[in-house]
Amino acid sequence: MRRKQALDGLGQEIRDHIERETQDNIDKGMTPTEARRQAMITFGNVTLTMEHTQAVWGWPALDAIRQDLRYVFRTLCKKPAFALIVILTLGFGIGLNTATFSVVNAALIRPLGFADPDRLVALHERLGPQDAPFSPPDFLDVERDQQSFENVAAYANVPFELSGRSEPIRIDGAKVSAGLFSLLGVSPLLGRDFQSEDDQPGTNVAVLSWGLWQSRYGGDRSIVGQTITLDRRIYTVIGVMPAAFEFPRRGPQANNIPASVWVPIAFTGVERQARANGFNRSVIARLKRGVSLNAARAELEVLARRVNANYPPELQRAGVAVGLSAAPLRDEIVGRMERPLLLLLGAVGLVLLVTCANVATLVLSRAASRTREIAVRTALGASRARLVQLLLTEVTVLSIVGGLVGLAASRLIVGALPRAVAEAIPAGQEFSIDFRVLAFTGGIAIATSLLFALIPLGTVARARTGLALQETSRSTPGRRRHHMQASLVVTTVMLACVLLVGAGLFIRSFSALMATDPGYNPDRVLTASLTLPRVGYSTAASVRSFHHALLTRASALPAVRSAALVTDLPLERYENRVLSAEEAQLAEGVPSTTNLSWVYGPYFQTLGIQLKSGRVFSDVEAIEPRGVVIVNERLARSFWPGQDAVGKRLRWGLNVPDNQNPWLTIIGVVADVADGPLGAEPSVHAYEPFSQLPDNVLNNTPTSFGRQVKLAVRTDADPLALVSAVRAEIGGIDRQLAIESIATMVDRVGETVSPQRFSAMVLGAFATGSLLLAAVGLYGLLVFTVSERAREIAVRLALGAQRTEILRIVIGHGLKLVAFGLLLGLGISYGTGRAIASLLYQTESYDIVTFGTVPIVLLLIGVIACALPAYRASRVEPMGILRSE
Amino acid sequence: MSTKRSRDHIELLQGTLDLLILRTLRWGPAHGHAIAKAIEHGSDDVLLVEQGSLYPALHRLIRRGWIDFEEGTSENNRRAKFYRLTPKGRKQLEVETSKWDKLARAVGRILRPAEQE
Repeated sequence: MRRKQALDGLGQEIRDHIERETQDNIDKGMTPTEARRQAMITFGNVTLTMEHTQAVWGWPALDAIRQDLRYVFRTLCKKPAFALIVILTLGFGIGLNTATFSVVNAALIRPLGFADPDRLVALHERLGPQDAPFSPPDFLDVERDQQSFENVAAYANVPFELSGRSEPIRIDGAKVSAGLFSLLGVSPLLGRDFQSEDDQPGTNVAVLSWGLWQSRYGGDRSIVGQTITLDRRIYTVIGVMPAAFEFPRRGPQANNIPASVWVPIAFTGVERQARANGFNRSVIARLKRGVSLNAARAELEVLARRVNANYPPELQRAGVAVGLSAAPLRDEIVGRMERPLLLLLGAVGLVLLVTCANVATLVLSRAASRTREIAVRTALGASRARLVQLLLTEVTVLSIVGGLVGLAASRLIVGALPRAVAEAIPAGQEFSIDFRVLAFTGGIAIATSLLFALIPLGTVARARTGLALQETSRSTPGRRRHHMQASLVVTTVMLACVLLVGAGLFIRSFSALMATDPGYNPDRVLTASLTLPRVGYSTAASVRSFHHALLTRASALPAVRSAALVTDLPLERYENRVLSAEEAQLAEGVPSTTNLSWVYGPYFQTLGIQLKSGRVFSDVEAIEPRGVVIVNERLARSFWPGQDAVGKRLRWGLNVPDNQNPWLTIIGVVADVADGPLGAEPSVHAYEPFSQLPDNVLNNTPTSFGRQVKLAVRTDADPLALVSAVRAEIGGIDRQLAIESIATMVDRVGETVSPQRFSAMVLGAFATGSLLLAAVGLYGLLVFTVSERAREIAVRLALGAQRTEILRIVIGHGLKLVAFGLLLGLGISYGTGRAIASLLYQTESYDIVTFGTVPIVLLLIGVIACALPAYRASRVEPMGILRSE
Repeated sequence: MSTKRSRDHIELLQGTLDLLILRTLRWGPAHGHAIAKAIEHGSDDVLLVEQGSLYPALHRLIRRGWIDFEEGTSENNRRAKFYRLTPKGRKQLEVETSKWDKLARAVGRILRPAEQE
């Protein structure tokens, strides 16, 4: 109140004051002009006086900030394009960086979530050149004899059918040693951990994951002690694990599916004895305090010799020998993800640089156009601190809005992350925005813009105010600033070029991958995965009758052209067996093992796998064991190069006298099928009819071996249209049976290449973004150059220059910068290309197509960015400009 | 702006200016220009106010409650703001004056000890 009254009319009061002083001076005999001049001098700076007087009443800084804010909003609204571009640039850069950093952070940097994880190691057996999980007897040997570890534990993924209460569902579970949870240092949230007495066959106890407990049992705390039905057997729930606990961890290692339920591993008597069998138990161990990894490795070497000594003599004679190895658990889980992720991080770093360079260019151009304004303000007595504040206010406003846009963008990006990618990355179902990362990237971008915003202040301070006033009105801009702007644009183009080449290489690699012939035709094929529980399908006869019923029903569906059952579809692995062949050429490189699948029905026809010679299984062979086998070309070529393999014989097991396995006659040779992920070398593969899977395997086996079955149906129409019909047919046979998954073959293929697709997509997005940024930067630079050189252009036109010539000069100026950046960029790209060569599939690091396309794209974008400013320059009205000076 | 002039004039210390304003207003309300003139005349033009700096000082004093203001009509029939001393200001003036006297005596003794004795 008081403040308002006091300040009211201050301006008028001061004007009156000066007028009185002028009158006094006139009375003293001065001329009116001189009198006024002297009055002004005596009074001092009017604006400053007003400011100082107002300052008496309040918080001067706050007042000034409010003023500046109002001013900034006014000026920004006058030039919305500038504001928009800066905000979007910052938003894009900050958002992208934060999102990517958060993902990488989740995968690489976030701790494993286990107590003292540095002492956790993964143990492997080594068979030939390959690391493999453990065979149970070997694990038991190590567990008994080892001295280096506090504890060792084995685990293996196992799927379960969970029934009772509501709809049966398939869940992922794991069988674990009783000591696993305490080894990891995690205790149950509810109930108790497994005890060693639980680790016996026939003790049906289970620990639930937090997720399953919540989704299936509504978080009911009385679940402990109740029973659940797994694979139609009753299990007692003894505990629930905490929410954050995830085990096994995702990653490239074997047994990598996080379990919803854990049960004791409870090796059976048969498993304990079966040497050289069942290499599928992953083993984890905790080093004793003070024992180094190398010491443990040395002990494992000794243990390996002892394990080998326990192998049956005939196997030892046949040269079977296992080794033991250990690796830090972190390497095991993160392992091969590291390189693509670091690559991503590198790309993101480049985008951050592009963002900074671009914001710098924009802010610099903007600030340059204000040199005159600053000079005027300085002349009017604005203090330096006050000017800094004004300049910073604008950039701060833009930065804050840009940062918010960035935050929103990063949320969008993380949300849009494909599920497949999220699953491919270890430790990663939950990506949260990391605010430290946001602060970091935002901080860098904003600091850059602040820094460059202050540059014009420096120019004004260096040059005398008067000079700056003249300079901006007349001549060309400061040489220094011009160079800086040009080099920023060159940098942006260079970085964009590197990103484009990188993205180009990945896209080429991805399309090469997609173009590989997988050896089968995935189009219009629908697949369903099932596992028959032991209870309800305890005999071979019951399994076979289910197979028969399913195939009959599926084949009879109206739109189905053919249907078949198989133990494993392409891209999956099922059984890998040692084999020996008759009359084989005993050359080097003959494979000793082959993938093996069992099929029922016209499998090769359904999947579109070409028959190269011989014939497919007959209807009789489908139901009666006749000792027949179909092999792929690779197998045929390996054993009988240059001969027709049809009619030759092979059998499972080593070629030793006591091998009791029957000889199988090859009746057909089929095309090689990509067994692993796309792009991997196809392996040797053999197919037997389901009828040859011995009854004793299906009768009463403790494993689910032989009980997993995939249905494949080929249709003439959209395979997804068949989903409900297939579900109905399966339900028609066994209403309780849960379907693990139902998906088109095309989707299954797509899943396996999702990491590559992700890399290509992300890099593509980064590159496109930086390309746009480069274009914006170039555009911004040229617009300002043109407006600064308007006078020069006007003079040229007035002197008779053609408008096309002006066009040429401006575009030439822009393209020169692009060309320079391009040259540098291509040079660097050659280096980066070599660095990522190992991640590329059938694409050279100096891929001609990529290196040829990128410059064309960049130049084209360059021309587009130059076009508008150039056109404007050529339309300059010379007389108007010259007169306005 | 005052580079040339400051050589033969004494720049006012802030507290001194406050004191001079209070002293000027002892004889009755006055507007800004009149106060400036009074200070200049009263000091034989030695204590020059860069006149503008009068205004922040006036407002400072208003804020402290030592002076007040009212709208009035000036000698040439113009509306103007007249500043006057408040009772609180009058008391303050006494305090400040005696303080100033003490200070002036002390400084004088230091600078010219012989004359004082």
